[in-house]
Amino acid sequence: MKGQLLPVPSRREFFGKCGMGMGSLMLSQMLGGMIGSRAYADADRLAAKSPHFLGRAKHIIHLFMNGGPSHVDTFDPKPMLAKHHGRPLPIPNLVTERPTGGAYRSPFRFAKHGESGIEVSELFPHVARQIDDIAVVRSMYADVPNHEPSLMLMNCGEARLVRPSVGSWVTYGLGSANQNLPSFVAMCPGGYPIQESQNWQAGFLPGNYQATYIDTKHQQIDKLIENIENKRTSRSDQRRQLDLLAQLNAMHAAERSNDSQLEARIESFELAFGMQMEASDAFDVSREPQHIRDMYGPGVQGRQMLMARRLVERGVRFVQLWHGAGQPWDHHDDIEQGHRRLAKECDQAIGALLADLKQRGMLDETLVLWGGEFGRTPVVEMPKEGSNQGKMNGRDHNHHGFTVWMAGGGIRGGQVYGATDEFGFRAEQNRMHVHDLHATMLHCLGFDHTQLTYRYAGRDFRLTDVHGNVVHDLLA
Amino acid sequence: MYGRHLTDLRLVAVLATVALRAAVADESIDYFETHIRPVLVESCASCHFANDGEVQGEFAVDNRESMRRGGKSGKAIAPGSPDESRLLTALRYENAALRMPPDGKLPDDVIEHFRKWIAMGAPDPRDGAVIDIDSIAQRAKSHWAFQPPIFQEPPVDDSGWSRRPLDQFVRATLASAELRPVEEADRRTLAKRLYFDFDGLPPTYEQIEEFALDDRPDAYEALVDRLLDSPQFGERWARHWLDVARYADSKGYVFKEERDIKNAYKFRDWVIAAFNDNLPINQFLHQQIYASPELTVAASDDQLAALGFLTLGRRFLGQQDDIIADRIDVVARGMMGVTIGCARCHDHKYDPFSIEDYYGLYGVFASTSEPHPEGQPPLLQDKLHPENVGVFLRGSRHNRGAIVERGVPTFFAADRGNVTDGSGRRELANTIVSDDNPLTARVFVNRVWGHLTGKPLVSTPSDFGLRCPPPVQQPLLDSLTVDFVNHGWSLKWLVREITTSSTYRLSSQPTHEQLAVDAENDLLGRAHRRGRDFEAMRDAILFVGDRLDTSQVGGRSEPIDTIDGGTRRTLYAYIDRQNLPSLFRTFDFASPDAHCPQRPTTLVPQQALFLLNSSIVQGISEKSVTELADSPVGERINQLYRAVLQRDPTDDERQLATQFVAGRIAEPAATNPWSYGLCNAANAVDGSSIDFQPLQHYSDSKWQQAQEFPHAEFGYLSITADGGHPGRLAEHAAVRRWTSPSHGKLHILGEVTRPESKGDGIQVIVTSSRRGLLGEWQLSTGKQEIKINLPNVNRGETIDFVVASGGNDAYDSFQLPLRLSLRTPDGMQVFDSRQGFHGPLPTTLDVWAQFVQVLLASNEFAFVD
Repeated sequence: MKGQLLPVPSRREFFGKCGMGMGSLMLSQMLGGMIGSRAYADADRLAAKSPHFLGRAKHIIHLFMNGGPSHVDTFDPKPMLAKHHGRPLPIPNLVTERPTGGAYRSPFRFAKHGESGIEVSELFPHVARQIDDIAVVRSMYADVPNHEPSLMLMNCGEARLVRPSVGSWVTYGLGSANQNLPSFVAMCPGGYPIQESQNWQAGFLPGNYQATYIDTKHQQIDKLIENIENKRTSRSDQRRQLDLLAQLNAMHAAERSNDSQLEARIESFELAFGMQMEASDAFDVSREPQHIRDMYGPGVQGRQMLMARRLVERGVRFVQLWHGAGQPWDHHDDIEQGHRRLAKECDQAIGALLADLKQRGMLDETLVLWGGEFGRTPVVEMPKEGSNQGKMNGRDHNHHGFTVWMAGGGIRGGQVYGATDEFGFRAEQNRMHVHDLHATMLHCLGFDHTQLTYRYAGRDFRLTDVHGNVVHDLLA
Repeated sequence: MYGRHLTDLRLVAVLATVALRAAVADESIDYFETHIRPVLVESCASCHFANDGEVQGEFAVDNRESMRRGGKSGKAIAPGSPDESRLLTALRYENAALRMPPDGKLPDDVIEHFRKWIAMGAPDPRDGAVIDIDSIAQRAKSHWAFQPPIFQEPPVDDSGWSRRPLDQFVRATLASAELRPVEEADRRTLAKRLYFDFDGLPPTYEQIEEFALDDRPDAYEALVDRLLDSPQFGERWARHWLDVARYADSKGYVFKEERDIKNAYKFRDWVIAAFNDNLPINQFLHQQIYASPELTVAASDDQLAALGFLTLGRRFLGQQDDIIADRIDVVARGMMGVTIGCARCHDHKYDPFSIEDYYGLYGVFASTSEPHPEGQPPLLQDKLHPENVGVFLRGSRHNRGAIVERGVPTFFAADRGNVTDGSGRRELANTIVSDDNPLTARVFVNRVWGHLTGKPLVSTPSDFGLRCPPPVQQPLLDSLTVDFVNHGWSLKWLVREITTSSTYRLSSQPTHEQLAVDAENDLLGRAHRRGRDFEAMRDAILFVGDRLDTSQVGGRSEPIDTIDGGTRRTLYAYIDRQNLPSLFRTFDFASPDAHCPQRPTTLVPQQALFLLNSSIVQGISEKSVTELADSPVGERINQLYRAVLQRDPTDDERQLATQFVAGRIAEPAATNPWSYGLCNAANAVDGSSIDFQPLQHYSDSKWQQAQEFPHAEFGYLSITADGGHPGRLAEHAAVRRWTSPSHGKLHILGEVTRPESKGDGIQVIVTSSRRGLLGEWQLSTGKQEIKINLPNVNRGETIDFVVASGGNDAYDSFQLPLRLSLRTPDGMQVFDSRQGFHGPLPTTLDVWAQFVQVLLASNEFAFVD
């Protein structure tokens, strides 16, 4: 029965058995909450078995640097590249998407930061200030060097087939903590990333577990969330409408006893009424004091990070922030200028987000994940007609080894986990596959990744399929 | 007795063996106890100890005899011959398809112990008979859904309640639980139910009344027959099948190629026509697999569009393995209710389908090619040279096992259908609709039952496998299935048979006894109240608002998530598989990513938001009332009730409605603090005497005085989100006005910029309606900060930001971003001139339109009793 979506009459039976008064029940418990509560039961059982690892995180913020940021230019310093710069590596180049050449040193300076002394490149000075709260995983690897399958793997745990995204699983597992807001929000300014809304799909889970997509290029609430504003009816008029509706529905229900769907639907209108206010409030960053807005900095990145904090503060489970439409971090050429520009856009906002979560006591229950779908090669990409023609100043995709980092939500900060080879090509020590990352993330939320399942097409599916190991060294 | 006797005999034999071994080989037993038993317990038990529950691969290691017998894939141990023992092969990880333990190879010394142990003859002191493992094959032999459905004589019902044979089954099961069916639903309810089930549209008030007052004895059956003949029947039922067929108009993710699947809608139209023409369902299914027997398809044949069933799935960037997997899945689950897709990487864990079965089907589809003739959806035809493929071990195409003859799973035919020429599609299609197939007809009947009653008899409509228990009403399902086949697989016969039954006609109101004994209504003692699905809901809204165009059946798909929402039935909506509009998801539309057995039913606030706030529902509500504008209030209320809910209001309802429409005049929805106008700069300097006139025309995100731009009289006078341009004359200064929504302390921060240095500059004036001039600047080029603090502004007080030309308006384009912070006792409100910039404000929804909206949002409208 675990995770089975129940048809409506079963809810009726459920409530009949529990002897609950229908009127007092919130919609959440009837719907997403019902499903969630089943998963909860599983999580509880697990918790009883391993109380030491009871989940700390209640929310996840995933900062998706789509396109693939270069680890050797950000969080994984490789001095050996400078030594071999312009010459072939002493080890053979691994196979990536395109032809590559000799070693290509990082154009950015690295320095030690914090008490932990973890090295971070000059691209992320604000993030570096929070390094003691960050666990840098330098030994990530994925399966193939192409954007689409790697995005799918990172987001849904499966490169090709349609499977629910991490956020859908989390929302399915935890249920909603605020009925007035969507539980899973994906933000990307200016349009979709590559692979589009599949990145936050619900797959075979009910469609309501899919993320609500927000184009953060907009600032007006009605452009952010569909039908959230009524432009033609005042709030007091709408209240009158709902009062009339409630009276008509009550008369209708009086002749139809014991039907929880009728009650649930009546409730949903009141929730919608509240949602209009709460959502407008949650997405309106102009309500933040000036010093907070200054802290996050100008521009869309600051705005969407601040929005993310406001959403998580209000109970949203999973917020995924994309850097931008398409694949902005994909610097096959001009990586120095490109990476510098993108990092400048988001560094201050990310640093502010971490500091802000911490100062509000929210970091502990919010897992922040930073990373792309893969990293980039330590060797230069060879010029190719029609793409990076005439240029030898970029890096190709690299799924053999890359970096992500996590903070908060039960992660032990100030540590480096795993390592790539001396050039940064391949994860060598403590290799961590994307499945392991997912297993660890679910663990932070209090789920055994092998137990959070959903029956579909004759099988119990899970985010990690038949893979994944929790990396306990990362946990606080 | 026999069983026990046998056990005893085995025990004797076992004891004898043990005694013998104990005598000769104490040492070897020690070896087992030291090196083998601990490993069995630690590394194998979780999957292979019958004592601990489920046994994987039918191989139990609980005792000696079970280990010797082996599992599903054969003997595990050849005592004395380690190299011929599968157990050792598995431990050594020699065969990619057989690696144990699966989560990691055991250390070499442990494997060596096993080798040595087997070489010794696998001594094992553990007694006990071979454990009887309930193998999949064995269970399949007796699984209810794998037996052909048998017609049963329905139990006698002498109460006179039963109309159709199926009622007699229902009556009998109810009686066995000491329950009685509820009363029949009233005529008006039945009319709504029938129209919903057959057409997916509400009836009109007149249609209901006509039926309610029709006292002919066969009035009900006559209505059923009339609805069966309506072209809307095919539309309604086509959508049910499109859920099964994971229909969409787009390919899913593509990189650069065309996103649409051209002419996908022809498949949809073929389904509509098939249902309207009552094409026998066996032919209906057969054609969807094998509509083109010839090697080359004839492009002109409309019947070929049936093949869209196979070709309209997600394209997976052209990955053949995934495309074929999708096709196997839609055929297996959609047509036969079995989950063969599970066998892609290994034998099915629960059902009698092996990985060979999967790759047998894979070979069938791999032996087809996909022409896409002009005017058709993509079609399938057999390749000239069909192929058989080797199984993909663990699902990997780079790791092939033995070649499998293409064809149907051995569950259906031991010889895989004996495919000799062609792809095997013919044999597959024949197998699906064969009289010997226990599943196809049953699965179809169960789906139809589910659509007509709101709850299928088998609760997993696409999985009738071993984990699916027999339904409470199995005799009903089986008999109805046999009858259905005997009636030539006629959908219309089946629908008629169900809907003319007494069971279908029951009220949805449960009795207390039923709630206590049968809360889930498994015994069918009443009808299920059903919420309108997405299509029925949107269609009904358009229908009662007189916006629905039902004149044309079929045709190209159209987007419906537009401002006005379109006018065609929802069935004709363009389905973008990749980025399905949220409207679809909000209302539980079947995901077009893969076959959808059953839609989820949720009630979420986003559904309510659509009904309350969408321009579509507002527009329809508004339109419904315009024609009634001249009627008296009571008459209008009656008319609206008849239009939306197809009945007259009760006295209470009429009173509530009267109060509602009389109670208050609709007030403006959005009181926006920003407005845009022009004034005479000279008056603005005078302070309170400003002559603000709103600008009259809005286009291209810009307020101006008339459509003509630049205008002969007003020149470039305009206001944009960022700034604007003053008119030529000082009398035509551009004014951005802010009206304070409440009392409070105001802080104004802004910056005016005139980027050009040519011309004679601009004049900037800030003035308040209550206190006159607040500031004045001349700016020839560059920036000027505006910073003003007002300790107390009143509600309704206006602050005007006036920009005038200096006499010559050339190069006078300016920017004027403003940020007004208003501190009130309730907190701080911030007004940003760019964020708050707006075009014409929408008109307020009239109170009658608000009333219609309430009716459209009502539970009565949303549910079908």
